[in-house]
Amino acid sequence: MTTTVHQSHTPGKVVFEAHGVRKVYHTGEVDVVALHGVDIELHAGELICLLGASGSGKSTLLNILGGLDVPTSGNLIYKGWPLNGADEGTLTLFRRNCVGFVFQFYNLIPSLTARENIALITSISRNPMSPEEALEMVGLSARMDHFPSQLSGGEQQRVAIARAIAKRPEVLLCDEPTGALDVTTGITVLEAVERINRELGTLTVIITHNAVMAEMADRVLHLSDGKIISSHRNEVRLPASQLKW
Amino acid sequence: MISPLDRKLLRDLGKMKGQVFAVSLVMACGLAMMIMTRSLIRTLDTTRESYYQQYAMADIFASLKRAPLSVAEQLLTLPGVATVETRVAVDVTLDLPGLAEPATGHIISLPEDGKPQKLNRVSLRTGRFPNPDERREVVLGESFANANGLQPGDSLVAVINGRRETLKICGIGLSPEFVFEARAGETLPDHKRFSVIWMNYRALAVAYNLDGAFNDVCIDLAPGALAGPVIEEMDRILTPYGAGGAFIRAEQASAQRLDDELRVLRSLSFAYPLVFLSVAAFMVNAVLSRIVRLQREQIAQMKALGYSSRQVGVHYLKFVLIIGILGTLMGGIGGRLLGASLVDLYTLFFRFPSLVFVMDYSALGVALLISLGASVVGVLTVVWQAVKLPPAEAMRPEPPADFKPSLLERAGLTRFSSPTFRMALRNIERRPWQAVFTSAGLALATGLMVLPGAMSDSIDYLLTFQWNRQQRQDVAVFLTEPGSAGGFQDLQHLPGVIRAEPIRSVQARLKFGHRQRKLAVTGMAPGANLNRLLDQDGQVIALPAEGLVMSEMLAQVIGARIGDEVEVEVLEGRRPVLRVPIRGLVTDYAGVAAYMDISALRRLMKEGDTINGAYLALDHTRWDDFMRELKDTPRAAVVMVKRDQLAAFRETTGKSIGIIRKLYLVLATIVAFGVVYNSARIALSERGRELATLRVVGFRLAEVRGVLVGELAILVLIALPFGLLFGRGLALFIMSSFSTETVRLPIVIQSSTYSIAILVVLTASALSFALVSRMIGKLDMVGVLKARD
Repeated sequence: MTTTVHQSHTPGKVVFEAHGVRKVYHTGEVDVVALHGVDIELHAGELICLLGASGSGKSTLLNILGGLDVPTSGNLIYKGWPLNGADEGTLTLFRRNCVGFVFQFYNLIPSLTARENIALITSISRNPMSPEEALEMVGLSARMDHFPSQLSGGEQQRVAIARAIAKRPEVLLCDEPTGALDVTTGITVLEAVERINRELGTLTVIITHNAVMAEMADRVLHLSDGKIISSHRNEVRLPASQLKW
Repeated sequence: MISPLDRKLLRDLGKMKGQVFAVSLVMACGLAMMIMTRSLIRTLDTTRESYYQQYAMADIFASLKRAPLSVAEQLLTLPGVATVETRVAVDVTLDLPGLAEPATGHIISLPEDGKPQKLNRVSLRTGRFPNPDERREVVLGESFANANGLQPGDSLVAVINGRRETLKICGIGLSPEFVFEARAGETLPDHKRFSVIWMNYRALAVAYNLDGAFNDVCIDLAPGALAGPVIEEMDRILTPYGAGGAFIRAEQASAQRLDDELRVLRSLSFAYPLVFLSVAAFMVNAVLSRIVRLQREQIAQMKALGYSSRQVGVHYLKFVLIIGILGTLMGGIGGRLLGASLVDLYTLFFRFPSLVFVMDYSALGVALLISLGASVVGVLTVVWQAVKLPPAEAMRPEPPADFKPSLLERAGLTRFSSPTFRMALRNIERRPWQAVFTSAGLALATGLMVLPGAMSDSIDYLLTFQWNRQQRQDVAVFLTEPGSAGGFQDLQHLPGVIRAEPIRSVQARLKFGHRQRKLAVTGMAPGANLNRLLDQDGQVIALPAEGLVMSEMLAQVIGARIGDEVEVEVLEGRRPVLRVPIRGLVTDYAGVAAYMDISALRRLMKEGDTINGAYLALDHTRWDDFMRELKDTPRAAVVMVKRDQLAAFRETTGKSIGIIRKLYLVLATIVAFGVVYNSARIALSERGRELATLRVVGFRLAEVRGVLVGELAILVLIALPFGLLFGRGLALFIMSSFSTETVRLPIVIQSSTYSIAILVVLTASALSFALVSRMIGKLDMVGVLKARD
């Protein structure tokens, strides 16, 4: 694992363009506005860190980017294709072919081994890598035939990452990927994310509470009350291995 | 004031109301059936008892040739005899203008001078009893009167001892002696063509040369007196007068049929509902296990807050209690409604002054106890495991489920199977008991479906066997008195007769060891081709030149086998007693019978070409001519028309079994649906996270449904063969418990019955899948994934 500091990523082609994206949830008699008109552009190969307090709207934004949810209004364009107003079938295809997700609770299928959890995805993808290759990328070649119950939390999360990237997605979306892990394990997981971003050039968006993690990103977006209140570009990216919290 | 814990209970139940309803409904089906049958038993039982008591049903019956009335005094002196009633009872032919074929009347005399009957009293429905000096006034049986639209003031023609007489109907009545109103030896009522008739003694006795005498006697025993010794003494006194042997109430045709019906109900009231309740118990177990697993942390919270294990345990048992109470309520209401509407079916067979449905409330209590007992036993271990967990441990989420490659995989059989198929296999293997319970529930549901089909298959087979292969005559005619060869020729020469075969039957008592039965031994011509004797496989049994061929059931009852010699005590003529070997057994489904070569029987009786009747095949174009002529043949007393018997069968047994069958089919379908729905709901709630994950990573809705449905489909497929096997066993068990000496059902199950069972279970499964699939569509992907497991 490298310990050198990286030059920040030069922005590539635009992957996501959001203009005035709003999301309103109707819960009972009150409307909760989760996103208040978000405008952003995300580029190929970037590693983005989304920071914000609970309820700031970062998960909503991530879900909308990943096709798990649709905006109430505004435009969201993925590589020239409008995603707002897409039907369920289109969104499923979008998730199947273009997006990889990593959640705080790994959400592996407990009845499938590490390799099989990944095969589950590669069997429906257009141009996947092999499950073995994906596990190799997260350093778990030796644990391929283990069931989730036989893996540690960090290992399970790395399997989840391997599963997310095995389809060679354009986008990797991670929602609090280290939230349930201790520091050392968390860093191992972030190293895996970093390697994917670097070697595959996957646009990676990480949601976190943890401001320290921002140092490994190309760009840091701050959300508050459903709006992006600041966006700043790191001159240098700190390797995950050097993060401390 | 409702406690917070109970409020939680109600809300939890509210959230899973679909499942609560499904489980209670399955329970209710079993309970409804149990309550219905037990209430019908009580209804028939109490109605019969009060009818017998109120109208003085006799304890002992005997028929004879002719005895002077003074013999009655002798009978009254016997120890244990409380009441003696003598009568004249004869069978006559009735000629109804609207009816082509002759009907049969069984005329019983009323006491002289208008005295009231002491025993088997007529319950007068309308009109009045005959005036003492009226010779032609009669009280007519109600069923016959209704079936033929006759009422007091109408008249009908009867051939009484060879003379056509016009009888005037003065009243319509019923008697406890004829709750089941059918010709002697008939297993089905034919209300259009058979009636009991009561008329004054003198008119009847004079016509039959029985004035000052009787040919039928009934006796009421003193309280506590035993029937055996009285019967022995009666036989001793009456045998010289041509008596065929006295018999107790339980052997009386009508009483016996009622007993048989109660026996059928009893066998239905237990085994079948029990299966439903077992299924419900499995379902309750599955539901509660799921709740307890899901509420693991809540249980820890409750205990951390200071609730005792007992309180927590009771809280979860209340889930079962409420489901049980709900099921019992629905079952009670359902059972009552079903029973009240089915009770009318019994009026097809049985006539009481009134048959009012009596709810057996004790059945409700028993039902509640059984259903709750079964469910509570089913969930005790689950609840116990939940409460014994220390709070701190329970508050931590359950570790990831432990999995290993399934047995099939370890055997290398699934190398090329998809990951989703492996998921299904491993899930099943990980919770084998859950899978076993689900499959067992489904197998039971499948099995329940077999019984109704088996009933109708068996009836179909019975109809073909009895009416197409065995009885090929159109009409059987019996004479009032045994006749000579000339009598047979008369029958043979009736218009339209294509073929005639003589019958000579004699009343006899068959004894083997200490067992005996009284019945008619029927002599038939060798090579008789109309009423054929068939074995189990439907092959014709040729009558041997010597020896008896008898019903399998009869052999079973007296404990004899082919080759054994039975003692035949003839109860008429010179009353010879002979030893005759059994040469063959026939398969038949109504009553019991014994047959001999007609010449052999005549030799035993030391008589010439005597007959009592004949089987006739008719030219159907001359049907009406034949019947017209037959009505004018004074000596023909009983005419059985096959076509009418078949119609009566369809009208009575066929109809009632048809209704019962539909009812069972509906109940079994509810169970199949309930089981699959419940399992699918549980699977959905347990696997929500997995299914949401699959959706997130890009599986289409249909693919995700496939994962859940695949696992359940495996369980359904496993359940089906076991279910069919179980259903066969259940049908065999229940239907053989129906089998009695009077009526038996052949046990036949067609492959179509199995196919229908499979089809219904698959359809019910598909419906449940469809319902649950809709829920998968509504899964909150993000919510599920972000929540801690």
